[in-house]
Amino acid sequence: MAVCGSRAIRNGDVVFIGTGLPMVAALLAKRTHAPGAKIVFEAGFIDSNAKDIALSIADSRLGYRASGAIGLFETLGLMLQGGHVDVGFVGAAQIDKYGNINTTYIGPFEKPTVRLPGSGGGNDITSSAKRIVVIMTHEKRKMVNKLDYLTSPGFLTGQSAREKTGLLGGGPSLVVTNLCQMDFDPKTKCMRLATVHPGVSIQQVLESTEFELIVPTRVAATDCPMREELELLRAIDPDGIYIPRTK
Amino acid sequence: MVEAPVEDKRISLEEAAKIVPDGAHLFWGGFGFQRPPMAFAHELIRQRKRDLTIYTCGSEMDLDILCGARVVSRLELAFFAIEGIGLVPNIQRRIREGTIEIEDYTNLAMSLRFLGGALGVPFMPLKSMLGTDLLTRTRFRPKKAEVISCPFTGERVVLVPSVQPDFSIVHASRVDVEGNVQIDGIKGEDVEGARAGKKVIVMAEEIVDSEFIRSQPDQTVIPNIYVTHVVECPWGSHPMMVYNYYDYDMEHVRKYYEQCKTEEGWQKYCEEYITGVRNRTEFLNKIGLERLMKLKAKKPFAY
Repeated sequence: MAVCGSRAIRNGDVVFIGTGLPMVAALLAKRTHAPGAKIVFEAGFIDSNAKDIALSIADSRLGYRASGAIGLFETLGLMLQGGHVDVGFVGAAQIDKYGNINTTYIGPFEKPTVRLPGSGGGNDITSSAKRIVVIMTHEKRKMVNKLDYLTSPGFLTGQSAREKTGLLGGGPSLVVTNLCQMDFDPKTKCMRLATVHPGVSIQQVLESTEFELIVPTRVAATDCPMREELELLRAIDPDGIYIPRTK
Repeated sequence: MVEAPVEDKRISLEEAAKIVPDGAHLFWGGFGFQRPPMAFAHELIRQRKRDLTIYTCGSEMDLDILCGARVVSRLELAFFAIEGIGLVPNIQRRIREGTIEIEDYTNLAMSLRFLGGALGVPFMPLKSMLGTDLLTRTRFRPKKAEVISCPFTGERVVLVPSVQPDFSIVHASRVDVEGNVQIDGIKGEDVEGARAGKKVIVMAEEIVDSEFIRSQPDQTVIPNIYVTHVVECPWGSHPMMVYNYYDYDMEHVRKYYEQCKTEEGWQKYCEEYITGVRNRTEFLNKIGLERLMKLKAKKPFAY
């Protein structure tokens, strides 16, 4: 997942991320194919060169050799809404076929069973970044027909609904899970299987997805992580905080 | 030249918390693990405050203890979790009980609401929240946000109401007795939030001489004109972090998280670390100098 996320970053991109896997993905991209990528953390650290793995987006670790330490109003307002962010990474507790995301409540709004963290900057990022990469685990209860709460916009009800509502950013371009990568049909804006990870079958993906996923006639396998990428991941997250050491 | 007399705005942590009446509305400073006013939260709990409303962007253990101790009943915010560990345990229980209510916004929306409050205008426009449940789902606000067509361009924009809380509570790196504030590292939403409050209480790791502030005036992020009271409060964010001062105490936070999964565990934590100690000094003594020294920032790192 981290490697797929990393490959979605282009050299020179301004990348807007939270902690966790997206942070690992962005640091990996900077050390491989995208050394010119600039990482912005919404709490205010800019172009971080963190040496140690951070737990919080406001973590002092992210200040190490950063080019700036500013505030939220500037990162989310002036940089993001101002149109300077190329790609934003977000997570999701639930996602629907149009790439809309829930990170607020599980269960009915009137009597929720679980209170999730909420939007944070997630809605701001998905509203205004030029591209969005979603990173999440692939389970049937997460890839749902109907969200319990729509926190962050994907393509809303599909087709041109997103543009019509007045949102600035381009919407989701890629969803990376532990099973596969998915993109969106350019016309209907419905989610479409792009590549399946080595050892994963299309059937397995469909069984783990509640909504109807578009499956093209030809689906390639995801390129395997390179040895160099794996070694760098171990160096970036030596204690296995975000990348568990199972193998 | 006649030297102006220096106004001394210092009060104690206990006095500062005493000023906040039950039912007050507070801007709550700090962002994520960075500079939350933990010491102030402890003192509000010790003084058994009730029915406070909190406005903030994203918070963690600080809000979880305030909700656990039933000090806070309403929150308008964007995010809370104990990042890297899990969901806030006390808040989960209080929501299920129905004793706290949350009005959800986004981080940008909240920081703009503070900016609007500081500017003295009733609302601010933004391009987030469009098309989502954040616009339509409300808990206690009669009106949470409004979509309009821009009168100049026709473009769809969202308006969110400005906030001018009764008090803004901010924990800073350094302040002088007059209330000129320096903040190292990221500022979160404290720059706007501190200017939105009708009264502003600044806690700081250090009180510095005004000559120090005046030797580097470009470092002043909150000028004293906004500040009502100043509280000296070293280690004021422990077990969270303050840039250039100390790292987070993850051992303590993890213990808190595990223990607070049950109401009994939270009650025990609260008794042991908050209500069972008389003041901040007693709390810090309980943590111990040895542990605190291990957390102290080591240059050139800020943690």
